[in-house]
Amino acid sequence: MTADATPALVEDKQRPAAGPRARKSSAYPRYLAGKVAGAAVSLLAVLVTSFFLFRLIPGDPVKTMTGGRQVSAEQLAAYRDEFGLDLPLWRQFTDYCGKALTGDFGTSYQFRAPVVDKITEALPNTLLLTGTAFVLYTALGIFLGTRSAWRHGKLGDRVNTGLALTLYSIPSFWLGLLLIIVLSVGIGPLPGMFPTGGMESGGEEGFAYVLDVAHHLVLPVVTLVAVEYGQTLLVTRSALLDEMGSDYLTTARAKGLRDDLVRRRHAVPNALLPTVTLIFINLGRTVAGVILVETVFSWPGLGGLFYQALSVPDLPLVQGLFFVFAAAVILMNTLADLVYPLLDPRVAR
Amino acid sequence: MTTSTGTAPSPRALARQRRRASVARFWRQYRSERAGLYGLTALSLCALLALFAPVFVGSDVSSVTEAPGRPMQSPSAEFPLGTDQFGRDLLGLVIWGSRVSLLVGLLAAVLSVAIGTLIGVTAGHFKGWYATVMMRITDWFLVMPTLVLAIALATVMSRSLTTTVVAIGVTTWPTTARLVRAQTLAVETRPYIERAQALGGGHWHIMSRHVLPNVMPLVLAQTTLIISSAILAEATLAFLGLGDPTVVSWGGLLQDAREAGAVSAGDWWYLVPPGIAIAVVALAFTLCGRAVESVLNPRLGVSR
Amino acid sequence: MGTNDQKRSLPHGLRLVALAGAATLTLTAGLATPLDPAPQQARAADDGKKVLTVAVAQSVDSLSPFLAVRLLSTSIHRLMYEYLTNYDPKDNHAIAGLATKWEPSPDKLTWTYTIRSNSTWSDGEQATAEDAAWTFNKMMTDPGAATANGSYVGNFRKVTAPSPTKLVIELKKPQATMAALDVPIVPKHVWEKVSDFSEFNNDKSFPVVGNGPFVLSGYKADSYVRLKANKSFWRGAPKFDELVFRYYKDQDAAVSALRKGEVSFVAGSPSLTPAQAESLKGADDIQVNDAPGRRFYALATNPGAKAKNGEKFGDGHPSLLDQRVRNALFRAVDREAIIDKVFRGHAVEGEGYIPPRFQDYFWKPSASQKLAYDPAEAARLLDQAGYKKNGDGKRVGKDGKPITYRVLCHATDPNDKAVGKYLQEWWGELGIGVQLNCLDNVTDPWLAGKYDLAFDGWSVNPDPDFVLSIHTCGALPATPKDTGATDNFICDKKYDELYARQLTEYDPAKRADIVKQMESRLYDLGYMNVMAYPNAVEAFRTDQIKSITTMPAKAGNIYGQDGYWSWWSAVPADSGGSSDNASSTGVVVGIVAGVVILGGLGAFAAMRRRATAEERE
Repeated sequence: MTADATPALVEDKQRPAAGPRARKSSAYPRYLAGKVAGAAVSLLAVLVTSFFLFRLIPGDPVKTMTGGRQVSAEQLAAYRDEFGLDLPLWRQFTDYCGKALTGDFGTSYQFRAPVVDKITEALPNTLLLTGTAFVLYTALGIFLGTRSAWRHGKLGDRVNTGLALTLYSIPSFWLGLLLIIVLSVGIGPLPGMFPTGGMESGGEEGFAYVLDVAHHLVLPVVTLVAVEYGQTLLVTRSALLDEMGSDYLTTARAKGLRDDLVRRRHAVPNALLPTVTLIFINLGRTVAGVILVETVFSWPGLGGLFYQALSVPDLPLVQGLFFVFAAAVILMNTLADLVYPLLDPRVAR
Repeated sequence: MTTSTGTAPSPRALARQRRRASVARFWRQYRSERAGLYGLTALSLCALLALFAPVFVGSDVSSVTEAPGRPMQSPSAEFPLGTDQFGRDLLGLVIWGSRVSLLVGLLAAVLSVAIGTLIGVTAGHFKGWYATVMMRITDWFLVMPTLVLAIALATVMSRSLTTTVVAIGVTTWPTTARLVRAQTLAVETRPYIERAQALGGGHWHIMSRHVLPNVMPLVLAQTTLIISSAILAEATLAFLGLGDPTVVSWGGLLQDAREAGAVSAGDWWYLVPPGIAIAVVALAFTLCGRAVESVLNPRLGVSR
Repeated sequence: MGTNDQKRSLPHGLRLVALAGAATLTLTAGLATPLDPAPQQARAADDGKKVLTVAVAQSVDSLSPFLAVRLLSTSIHRLMYEYLTNYDPKDNHAIAGLATKWEPSPDKLTWTYTIRSNSTWSDGEQATAEDAAWTFNKMMTDPGAATANGSYVGNFRKVTAPSPTKLVIELKKPQATMAALDVPIVPKHVWEKVSDFSEFNNDKSFPVVGNGPFVLSGYKADSYVRLKANKSFWRGAPKFDELVFRYYKDQDAAVSALRKGEVSFVAGSPSLTPAQAESLKGADDIQVNDAPGRRFYALATNPGAKAKNGEKFGDGHPSLLDQRVRNALFRAVDREAIIDKVFRGHAVEGEGYIPPRFQDYFWKPSASQKLAYDPAEAARLLDQAGYKKNGDGKRVGKDGKPITYRVLCHATDPNDKAVGKYLQEWWGELGIGVQLNCLDNVTDPWLAGKYDLAFDGWSVNPDPDFVLSIHTCGALPATPKDTGATDNFICDKKYDELYARQLTEYDPAKRADIVKQMESRLYDLGYMNVMAYPNAVEAFRTDQIKSITTMPAKAGNIYGQDGYWSWWSAVPADSGGSSDNASSTGVVVGIVAGVVILGGLGAFAAMRRRATAEERE
């Protein structure tokens, strides 16, 4: 499996491709410009998709909007005019793109509020959830992954990887539901210890508010960490094992360096490279990936909003959210591309 | 590969022999992967169970009008896993549900890998503008959040098994395409491809006779891994209410359980079995996939 | 690939991980604080404050009374603003609201309302007829303000306020619903500053000036809506100090929250599931209110969609135009099984169109008229109608193809899906295929007439006029492009004649009699087959709510009443609302939050310590 020109998006159990190592040395600025331009093209492509994909949902948005209430043809026309739906498709498209470039995604059908407002309302909640989970599962994954590689083949390693793989195979929503039954509803003598859903009890202020949110955060974060840390662990571990077989390590050992020093000084940092790529990609992915956890735990974030918008369908909101989800991935992938050569001197220098 | 036989074997027989030998070698190496063996055993059991489900539970297990029990009974001798909200036997439903879950997982993975292989091989073989366009499309699919795109597709189409298969297949192929293309590029630099071209082998001949057999192992590993995530994806879509409500699948059972209010009623026996079934099968496929991968490419060291 | 390079990247790598971690932590911590949208006014000594928390599953579409159409939002507007009239909680007749009296002119074209002088806005200003006149005029002149309730003023010619206590509404033609104008009256002095009614959502500055039993004091999208008791409400202050609607996307989460006392009341959407009700019945301090519902749950049959101009559209199956087929289909529906298995007893078997809860209008078919469950008779009817089975046991249509009906179902309603499974098997026995078409949003195929059958249901009002009107020819869309008020494109001459007669009948008993004839006609036609009347199943905590008014008073529901009776009348239990366990929750919260943060930091520390420890060796 030869490395490809850009770090491939890590899908599931796939080990990340090794990054832009294959590139011949070129100046970093040029590399940077190329990557940024590529990202811009991707963003545009996403913008186009977000417009056309959801037009495929059968039906007349205006009739959906008025939800079966009695409306005359004139009123329907007025609605079409208000939302610009009477224009030919290409005009709607150019209008959409033009506005989107200035950060305006139109007005939500169901909430009658600017899409951007709805998104900025929910975004911090999603970031809070994913951010916290992300820090924890990355730390846990790297920590356990390194340990596992050091003792590879031993019982500890086997238990470690086995557990990680098992948790990784569990559907996150199912784990969430079980956690609710056991830790929130309470089972047998066990009392319910955590809130069943939502982000706050409402009405708390100051430090009490922070604690309240933290309390609500526990179960969703535990769920996310449990299903996500495995990937980081496995990538860290296999990268480390990969690295430990390298020639330069044999050389280092031959020079008389002690084994653990060799590992720590040489192997770990290099092995972390693919992990770093993974970290960035995960960060972009989790924003979209929390839909399930947000649904199970009634978390007022982007995922819930997306699902709600799709069922209407609230086209402007769906488009805006889709763009945000994809943009998060693109942004993080690009960041990974940009950071990678800084970490690995073999690339782009 | 011994050639001690007296008569010179035909090239075709030689090729067959070589292939048989490599399969045997593969199996020998696979056998040394303990986790892979566990996975394979679990899978074989599941597959047998699914194939012979009509014998074990009978096809009327999903009938609501002939449900044998009362709604939502907890586990008993008669119903080892209790009953669902229609009074159907949950054990039977979980066994029956394996058919749909496995089928959807397999079909989606095959679709995904087929698209990925097709695009990967052609993009690797044809280069030029075609490859550029294809790889741009692949890149673009890569940045699409898979779940979001699958949900969107499932919403756009009507609710059926085909929809689920397509939604999963269409959103998960890009990784395969990339891997296959890289492998194709590597294969095509080998001298015998040049020789084949010189001998007048057309594009189709080269791709189907030389490239494809060489990327097949990779495709196999990839399929196994993707089935695992396809089964999870099927459960996810069903759970979000985007599956066909009239067929019994594991994800659908979880969705039913939630809709019936099993979570707050504390009816864990309704929720636990389908979830475990999903996890076991997904894990089994992952283990097999990793084993295959490490046999084919020991340097990966995934399961050493 | 020099070793030098390898060494150099060592600190980089580690530093980056640490940096990313630290950055995210800071981000996370930072996010938590500015998020705080806490109600603007300071909360006085909280102790002893009685809070009533209601779990809701719907999100607020808008808090502007001019835009909101969802049940939750309109219920909240009932609490925030006084309407001209209200409905008596006992028997639903119109009683005084902001208006104390209302009288029509002899020609019924001019209505004069007397506005009470003891209702004040929460900012101290007097609520007057001028506010009401301004509200109606705004809706009549500004299309943006007519979004939600425009239909109420469609027939208004002119609205004036000759004095602060007198409101005059002139109509274009007589209208029967003048004592049922469910329009929130807003304070003119606040709302005249709004520039664009189609985008103003009334959710930015709190408290929101109102004159209802509660004052809106805080809102966070998909989290909560907070209301404070209006101590100077003219009918008397509510007994609870605060009312909070808390959002639970997941009904199970809401039920668990009730069990734990996080919320005082849960209504379910639209109702608790049988399993939830069963499990709550056994729980301590929880009362399940299983009230006869006001909804009917029916199987609608597409009568061949058409518009008023006679144009046909949609693609309903032609065989359904035969009454024998429709009756046969319904005869193969075992209503008892639906009540028993799907609703598990939390519903009443369907008979006529109007639920038995409205005794005056309830009608049931006589034994001979009843389309009782009888699969054999159903098969006979189908044979008679000429839809015979082919060699495969499938009935074939006139076009020679096997019949498969598309049944439109709401993907969000578990009952639809469950009954759909039964239909598949019952009708499968008859030789008819069923394709269950479950969608999140059924509006579209429905309005386009692209269905064969559909699950249908309406909440019936005390006055059945509306639910009857939606089956008249007059409710059909003007052209296929319009949207009509029609429910299912039914257009029957005999039914329409009866409908016109009941409109002009002022004697209640005689009118009821005509309504029953209409129901009988509807029953025979077989376009609306009522399968069940689902109960309203809701639950509340008796250790938080001592008493609460149901509507109707005897065996009524609590959530979604016509009026503010339930929340206005709720009396806190002595143990004192959900504010009690706030302190103990606080302790748990503290411990838990601490553990989480420590856990996270611990993982980091462990890694670092390990690193340094080994360095020391």
